[in-house]
Amino acid sequence: MPPSSPATVLPARPARPPLAQRLRAGLDVLLRSRVALVGAALVLFWVLVAAFADDCLIQPACWTGSPDYTPTPWLARYPFDKGVGPILGAPSAEHWLGTDRNGRDLWARLAYGARIILTLAPLSVGVAVLLGGALGLMAGYFGGVVDELISRLLDTVIAFPQIILYLIIIAALGPSAANVVLAITIAGAPGIARLVRSLTLDIKTRDYVAAAQTRGESPWYIMAVEILPNASGPIIIDAMLRVGYAVFAIGTLGFLGLGLPPPSPDWGSIVNLGRRFIAAGHPWDALWASLATASLVIGLNLMADGLSEETQRYR
Amino acid sequence: MHSRPPGKIGQPVIRVDQLGIAYETRQGLVHAVREVSFEIHRGETLGLVGESGCGKSTVAYGLVNYLGRNGRIVRGEIQFQGQSLVGRSEEELRRLRGDQISMVFQDPMTSLNPVMPVGEQMAEVLTVHRAMPKDEARTRCLEMLRRVYMPDPAKVLERYPHQISGGQQQRVVIAMALLNNPALLVMDEPTTALDVTVEAAVLDLIADLRRDFDTAILFISHNLGVIARVSNRVGVMYAGELVELAAVDELFADPRHPYTQGLLRCLPRLGRSKASSLLHPIRGRVPAPDRLPPGCVFEPRCDYARQACRAERPALRALRPGHHTRCLFSDEIDAAAWAPPADEGRPAVADSRPAAAGGDPPAPILNVAGLKTYYRHPSASPLGVLGLGQTDYVKAVDNVSFAVPKGRTLGIVGESGCGKSTLIKTLIGLESPSGGRADFIGFDINRRVSQRDLAIIRELQMVFQNPDATMNPSYTVGQQIERPLRRFKIVPPAQVHAEVVRLLRAVKLDEHYYDRFPRQLSGGEKQRIGIARAFAGRPDLVLCDEPVSALDVSVQAAVLNLLMEIQREQNTTMLFISHDLSVVRFLSDDVAVMYLGQIVEIGPAEAIYAPPYHPYTESLLAAVPIPDPTVEQEPIRLEGSVPSPLHPPSGCRFHTRCPRRNLLPAGGQICETTEPPWQEAGGGHRLYCHIPLETLRGLAPVVKAQA
Repeated sequence: MPPSSPATVLPARPARPPLAQRLRAGLDVLLRSRVALVGAALVLFWVLVAAFADDCLIQPACWTGSPDYTPTPWLARYPFDKGVGPILGAPSAEHWLGTDRNGRDLWARLAYGARIILTLAPLSVGVAVLLGGALGLMAGYFGGVVDELISRLLDTVIAFPQIILYLIIIAALGPSAANVVLAITIAGAPGIARLVRSLTLDIKTRDYVAAAQTRGESPWYIMAVEILPNASGPIIIDAMLRVGYAVFAIGTLGFLGLGLPPPSPDWGSIVNLGRRFIAAGHPWDALWASLATASLVIGLNLMADGLSEETQRYR
Repeated sequence: MHSRPPGKIGQPVIRVDQLGIAYETRQGLVHAVREVSFEIHRGETLGLVGESGCGKSTVAYGLVNYLGRNGRIVRGEIQFQGQSLVGRSEEELRRLRGDQISMVFQDPMTSLNPVMPVGEQMAEVLTVHRAMPKDEARTRCLEMLRRVYMPDPAKVLERYPHQISGGQQQRVVIAMALLNNPALLVMDEPTTALDVTVEAAVLDLIADLRRDFDTAILFISHNLGVIARVSNRVGVMYAGELVELAAVDELFADPRHPYTQGLLRCLPRLGRSKASSLLHPIRGRVPAPDRLPPGCVFEPRCDYARQACRAERPALRALRPGHHTRCLFSDEIDAAAWAPPADEGRPAVADSRPAAAGGDPPAPILNVAGLKTYYRHPSASPLGVLGLGQTDYVKAVDNVSFAVPKGRTLGIVGESGCGKSTLIKTLIGLESPSGGRADFIGFDINRRVSQRDLAIIRELQMVFQNPDATMNPSYTVGQQIERPLRRFKIVPPAQVHAEVVRLLRAVKLDEHYYDRFPRQLSGGEKQRIGIARAFAGRPDLVLCDEPVSALDVSVQAAVLNLLMEIQREQNTTMLFISHDLSVVRFLSDDVAVMYLGQIVEIGPAEAIYAPPYHPYTESLLAAVPIPDPTVEQEPIRLEGSVPSPLHPPSGCRFHTRCPRRNLLPAGGQICETTEPPWQEAGGGHRLYCHIPLETLRGLAPVVKAQA
């Protein structure tokens, strides 16, 4: 420690944009935890498979959905909706995971199915976090009557078992991607709101919130700028776990026939259709789709566990 | 061995020799305590003092082998009654130590089991360790509670810990520690969590116990005043090393280590007025135990550092019998001959009163009349649920009136729960007032901050207590100081950055701090940023809520100096809350003393600290621990704790604890029935008391410095 004034006690460090600094800090935490690293590897595997199942990502014509463009399969190797091999084929060099009753390649279906699940699950959790976060912030910050109203409303939703909620909503609105997102949002938002409310109750007693109040800041500014960033750690970890649950939920809906309509390669639907052939000596459909679901959920949970452990250790 | 006071013979109760304690961390072994040696004899108290993080508590935990999973003794020797405690198994230690070492911790509430009555917990010590029959154990406990001057001990035995006050809880913990008649009592900051009046009573008790029980006591505290009151000998710790060890009188009269000298210079003294005093902080901060300087650990912060100090680590050496220091030049340096270094560069603080002598004081900037802040308290009756019950109110602030002239500082003192914080929270608009009037530069501020004009908000800012919560951990220092600048449009947007740098310089930090996050700062630095943020809008009035109470003394001195300097430059008016009467004296022109939501005495600072006193002020002054063993204080002790503000006592609220009631006819019956009048003692000094001024004037000053 060099002598003289306190200003020189710490070595000067070059200014770096705070966002990049924070991203890097987050990455450091991830790399330090072995558990999180294993989880991240599993998740990353499915993300890559989904992203590069075909060449759609680099072809603007594909994004706009122009009808005369057919994407070329990359990692998926075959299209998911055409029979390209034997009916109910076992795994082989041609078809790594086998083929289904229509002769469609199972690996191709899983790869394209990853696309669906990796879009719908984070999307629905994202919407739930937005809705639940806003409700929780308001309930926690304003307190009093606002808190009572919001909390009782959420308690009502929580009183129903989640699976019943899904069934009611999908049965009422019909199976479609948008309705799956809606169902998961409505069922998930109350839990997130409770978490955010309790974090807000704690953070709003800190002096820096009082400092903002004595600056005459509006409640919305205080909630969004002073409170939310400090609650973000637990919210992110909770959201990561919830993406795992959402993967399960979407799988369950597919299995019950309430997921996306065929020929969509939804993992849940693959299990549902494949289970009929298990006894017939063709367990591959159900097995691979179940393993895919399990590996993705385990990956997300490990990541969340590892992250929460590390962030708590260094707090 | 060294450090034996003259005339003390026989075996010490505990002898610590070259003790080294290290913690295993991810970064490797961190040596938290190095080369610590001392001994304590029967009937002797060794005070261990130092700033936070210097290893005081680690030494204590080392003695009782309570270092946690990753801590261990790496070298040295601990001998307890002649037998070594180092390198023995858990079971052997238990047998050797047995019930011979007791420990008292800081927070009494965490030392007591909340689901067990006090008597049962106390008796357990005896029935379990000594297999004593229950009846006998109970008798012993009762007797022990009497020894610690517990009022109504038989009743206390039946109560649960939450049913007795904090001071009483700490008495129970001390009584429990003494039940087995231990040879060594280790006390780790036993009074830090207590109010000053309660602390004084507990310290008296500790001094008595040492005499009565002939126990050896290791007393750890960060507070030099407390140490001066209870210790025979004092060890000063710095960065894990014992840097000075001497008899208490000698240490305070003639400190020989630069760190000890520096600590004593940082302390605001009760006897000094605002105009004459200047604190001299120690520059820099305590080095982390894994990044120690190569030579003397104090060398980077030392005014006397020379080449030799950097070359080697000095050993603890005897300067004369009973006085040891860890400094190469102890014989040469003299605290009396010390002059502030040139770069501290600040003349003694000029009188901050613009029209002090002669002319009228400037017009008041803040006028408060009959201000009340009540909190609704749900009624206990079942009718309350239906809204029929009578609503009770906690009268946190009740009928408070005062005025603050521009450019002056009003200090507000009182025990915890007296309504200081509620008062300033009401003024700044974080709480809604229930009645009364508050005018600030002619505008009514009797409403919440959300209903005020931005122009008023800008002129009224606050400095907060807790350095760890005062800054938002998600934003850099620069972003947080920028916000008020942008919000109040103090400077054009293009100049915001330059203004932030200017503010950083004003609080003695440089522009590198702009991009730092709060977690990279020390407590003192965070508090400086909090001050910069409060002063960014160039407010007319700044409210300070105990801004230095969580800081170490050397840092506290720097922050206090800074506050005074900025105030003088900007001619800001301040309201300064503190429970520490020395700090308030140092910083304030006027002082208000609060008790149970009311002001009981208000006036110029020098008038408050001299007779006539309000009896409450007198008891506070008698209780303040003063870091000078030669100062004598009147032995006035308040009994009990502050009554509940839900149902405050009738008449004078202080009558239940007042030590001076008997000065009035009929034992002060009037105090119970009639609210006292405001008595003018001249010069704006007013007292809220029935006792005639002449009688109060005749009382002796509470604090007597030896001539």
